Amino acid sequence: MKVKKIVISVLILLLIPIADLMAHKVILFAWVEDGMIHTASSFGGKRMAKDCAITVLDENNTLVHTGRTDMDGKYTFKVPDSIDSDLVLTLDAGTGHRAEWKLSRDELRAGGLTGDEKPATEIEKKIKEKEGLEKNPSVLNIMAGILIIFALAFSMRMVKKKKASAEKGVK
Amino acid sequence: MHISEGVLSGPVLAAGAVMAAAGTGLGLKRIDYDQIVHVAILAAAFFVASLIHVNIGPASVHLILNGIVGLLLGLAAIPAILTALLLQSILFQYGGLTALGVNVVVMAFPAVLCHYFFRPFLGASSTLTFIAGFLAGVFSILLSSLLLGAALWFTDQNFLETSLVIITAHIPVMIIEGIITGFCVSFLLKVYPEILPKKKR
Repeated sequence: MKVKKIVISVLILLLIPIADLMAHKVILFAWVEDGMIHTASSFGGKRMAKDCAITVLDENNTLVHTGRTDMDGKYTFKVPDSIDSDLVLTLDAGTGHRAEWKLSRDELRAGGLTGDEKPATEIEKKIKEKEGLEKNPSVLNIMAGILIIFALAFSMRMVKKKKASAEKGVK
Repeated sequence: MHISEGVLSGPVLAAGAVMAAAGTGLGLKRIDYDQIVHVAILAAAFFVASLIHVNIGPASVHLILNGIVGLLLGLAAIPAILTALLLQSILFQYGGLTALGVNVVVMAFPAVLCHYFFRPFLGASSTLTFIAGFLAGVFSILLSSLLLGAALWFTDQNFLETSLVIITAHIPVMIIEGIITGFCVSFLLKVYPEILPKKKR
């Protein structure tokens, strides 16, 4: 009977209607194209990181550029003149969410991809690949997490039981 | 609600880790043999809750459920939430390992406060039980938002402005969690009243 009650409780707590399963880690992606640095950002899926601060630091942590993403989570700016350093772009989505992307010195010097290389589809493909990794934790991961929690609880029960038996033995 | 890696300063992370470690030690000491299964069930619920996103208009929010965990577990909520956050960090990349301590403080400490504030009203009557559950759901998110704002403020951001943004973003979560906590607590107390921790003498 007690087990039945526990099972009902577990179901009540775990089977709350799921509106949507999505991760909430913010993603930033940046690339150089025709002398411009382009950034795209999202919270995974179609939820764009709108109006978020972008800061650009060089390898000496000197502020090189700042800006804000548009309503599509995008921001574009010119590659800084005479730059001779890697650049670290940081997206601050507020409330503790932050993402980084590093552009190498070589990538900046080369000026990025040219129009002939049709970067848009490649970039979109890469963004989708990255988002695919970030969103929708697999059922396996969820089950693994729950199993670990119960395994830890079981271990704790064993330890407490042994401890109680040892104490009884002493008395 | 999960703070990512690289957002907070070293001293804030260290303070969070120390407070979380102390709270976890205290919580582990308080867990009775019979309570372990309840701790595991509620830790699992908390672990899964962050995956549940509810789309409200243009915004998408996720559940936290720290209120019900704290209300039903008391101090034992701290190790339960620590375990769930650690697994979320490893398996889903939510938050970060270095920010784990601060995330535990932000989510678990308000949960424990809920226990001390609202536990006395549970079981008094069905209406009072629901109200206590609802308030625990609301209050835990509100206080967590304030603590999150404080953690960011200690680093470099404006406390009032940040807290207001966080609280505003979490108003729908407060209401949803209040209703869920109210109903769950009312139901659990009817079918399985043993889930409430016994009062320590």
